[in-house]
Amino acid sequence: MRAVDDLSFDVMPGETIGIVGESGCGKSVTALSIMRLLPQPMGQIASGNVIFQGQDLTKLSLPEMEKIRGARIGMVFQEPMTALNPVHTIGRQITEVLLLHQDISKDAAIRAGVEILDKVGIPSPDIRMTEYPHQLSGGMRQRVVIAIALACKPALLIADEPTTALDVTIQAQILELIRELQSDLGMAVIMITHDLGVIAETCEDVVVMYAGKMAEKGSVYDIFDRPKHPYTKGLLASIPTLDTIPKSKLSVIDGMVPGLLDLPAGCRFENRCPYRQDGCTLAPPPIETVDQEHQVSCLRWQEI
Amino acid sequence: MARDMNQPILKVDDLKMHFPVKEGIFLNTKKFNRAVDGVSLTIQPGETLGLVGESGCGKSTLGRCISRLYQPTSGSIQFEGNEISTLGSRALLPYRQDIQMIFQDPMESLNSRHTVGDILMEPFIIHNIGDRVSRQKRVQELLEIVGLPARSVSRYPFEFSGGQRQRIGIARSIALNPKLIVCDEPVSALDVSIQSQILNLLIELQQEFNLSYLFIAHDLAVVKHISDRIAIMYLGKIVESGNGEEVYKESRHPYTQSLISAIPVPNPHRPLNRQIITGDVPSPINPPTGCAFHPRCRMVEDRCKHQAPRLETISEGHIAACHRKDETRGVIAET
Repeated sequence: MRAVDDLSFDVMPGETIGIVGESGCGKSVTALSIMRLLPQPMGQIASGNVIFQGQDLTKLSLPEMEKIRGARIGMVFQEPMTALNPVHTIGRQITEVLLLHQDISKDAAIRAGVEILDKVGIPSPDIRMTEYPHQLSGGMRQRVVIAIALACKPALLIADEPTTALDVTIQAQILELIRELQSDLGMAVIMITHDLGVIAETCEDVVVMYAGKMAEKGSVYDIFDRPKHPYTKGLLASIPTLDTIPKSKLSVIDGMVPGLLDLPAGCRFENRCPYRQDGCTLAPPPIETVDQEHQVSCLRWQEI
Repeated sequence: MARDMNQPILKVDDLKMHFPVKEGIFLNTKKFNRAVDGVSLTIQPGETLGLVGESGCGKSTLGRCISRLYQPTSGSIQFEGNEISTLGSRALLPYRQDIQMIFQDPMESLNSRHTVGDILMEPFIIHNIGDRVSRQKRVQELLEIVGLPARSVSRYPFEFSGGQRQRIGIARSIALNPKLIVCDEPVSALDVSIQSQILNLLIELQQEFNLSYLFIAHDLAVVKHISDRIAIMYLGKIVESGNGEEVYKESRHPYTQSLISAIPVPNPHRPLNRQIITGDVPSPINPPTGCAFHPRCRMVEDRCKHQAPRLETISEGHIAACHRKDETRGVIAET
C-alpha cells in the first residue's frame, strides 16, 4: 500500500505550510513519516528524505531521532484525549518532556511547566498541574497538548488536525494561540487539516494532496485565487460558505477517492475529473511549474 | 381531522428535558442536567429549521425529544396539532412513521450485521406495510432515489464509504414517507466533497417530497446553506432565531455574533477580524445565574448576572434574548 508517493515541500522558519486533503489522502502519514512515528515494521519510508535544519531525519538512528522528537520538533494531534495519558497528571506529562530533553531539576521542570501552561492560556496552571486529563474540557486538553509540544521551544511544530475535534469558538482560540506562539518563538508550522477555511486563515503556503500524491502546491493566494488542478477547483467550489445562496445546488466532485490498494495507473483523480482526456489514464501526470512556487500535477492545467 | 393551511407541522412550547444526576453513596438525585431548558419553536411544512450550537448546548437532546426518543420532563410538542409529548409507545406508533431521524455517524446507526436490504426493509415490517414483493420493490426505489446501485441490497454497511452509508441512513429515514426528519449532524463526519453531495440530496428530497427538516449542526455555514430559518442554542436555551440571512447579517446576540466571526472563511484575502470568546461552555448542571452567556460575553453588565433576558422581537420573525440587543446592532456588518 503506497500511502504517500512523491511528495516534496519545504517550510522556512516562522512560516506556516498547510497540507490539505480528504480522509485517506496521506496527510497524517506524511506527518508521522517526518517524525519517524510510522507503525513498525509495516510503515517504511521507501525512498526520499526529510531534511530538518540540514540533517536528514530518515538516516538518523532511533536514539538520535528521540533527541529531536519533542525537543526540536513538536507535534499536536487531533484528539487530545487519546494524545494525553489518562492515568498521569498534566504536570507529570509536561515535566516528562522537559526532564527528558533538558538538563534541569525536577523543581525547575515543574516551574517551567506551570509557566508554559500559563502561556497557552490555562487558568490557575499550578492547580491544573495536579489534575488528570479527564478533569479538563476538550479545549483545555488541546491547550495542554500544545503546551507539551511547545515545552522545549521546538523549531518546527507539526499540527495534525489540531482543531477538528473542537467547537468553532474554541477552534478560534486555539488557532489564535498557535499564531501568537509562532510569532513569539519564530517556529515553522506544518498545519495538516481538511478545512480550507483554517488553511486560508493560517498558512502562507499550501500543499493539496489527493490519494497519497500532491495535486497542487503554491502560495495560499495561488491555491485559492488561481487553482490549476481540477481537484483543488472542485474542492473550493463544493464548500458552502455564509455567502452562498441558501438551498442552491452545491457543485460536487462526483464519485469517491480510489482505495490505496487499487490506485489507477494514470492520474489518481482521473475517475472523478471533469477534464479527463485519454492521456490521463495512461501515466501519472508530471509535476509542472505554473510560476515560481506554484506547481501542479495535471496534464490540462493550462486550460483551467 | 381537518388541517388548516397555516398550521405548523411542529410546534414545541417551553420544552424541558432535565436528566437526573445521581451522586453520593446512595446515588441520590440532588442535581439535574438541564440539557433543554424551556425551548419553543415551530416548523412549517416544507421548511428547514437549522439548529446551531456548540457541543453540550442541548441541540441533540432537543432533536431526540422531538422524535420522541426521550420523554421530555415538561412542555409541549405538537405534531400537526396533536400533542405527542406524553404519548406512550403504542400511541406513538403512527407518529413514528411521520417523524424520522438521520444520525451523524452512519456506521453507528446502521446495524453492521444486517444487509442494506434488511435495514431498509425493517421499517415496513415494523409498521406492517405491504407484502414481501412490494417491499422489495420499494427498497429498490429507495436506493435509486438516494443514488445507490441496486445491487447494494445484498451488501453490508462496512462495504460502503462514509458518504454512501449516509445515503443508506437517508434512504431508511424516507422509507415510510415521513413529514418531518430530524437530521442530527448528518454531514459533520463527511469529507468536504462528499458533504456537498449529501446536502444536495437532502435539498432535492425536500423539494420532491415536501419534507420538513430540523437540521442540527455546529457548522453555521452548512446550516445557513440548507435552512430557511436558524435558531442558535446556548446551554439549553434558544438565544436567537430568525431567517437565515437575518441571523447572519443582523444578528443581535453577542453569542451569535462571536459564533459567526469564529468560522474560518476559505478566503485568504479576508482580514482576520475576530471576536474571540474566551472560556468554555459552562456545565448545564450548574448554569450561570442570569444570562447563561454572561461569563463569556464581551457586553456583560450588572443586570446580565442576575436577570435572565427574555426572547424579544427584533423584527418580524427575528427574536433574540439579550438585555443589550439595541446596542449590538451592526457589530459584524464589516466582516
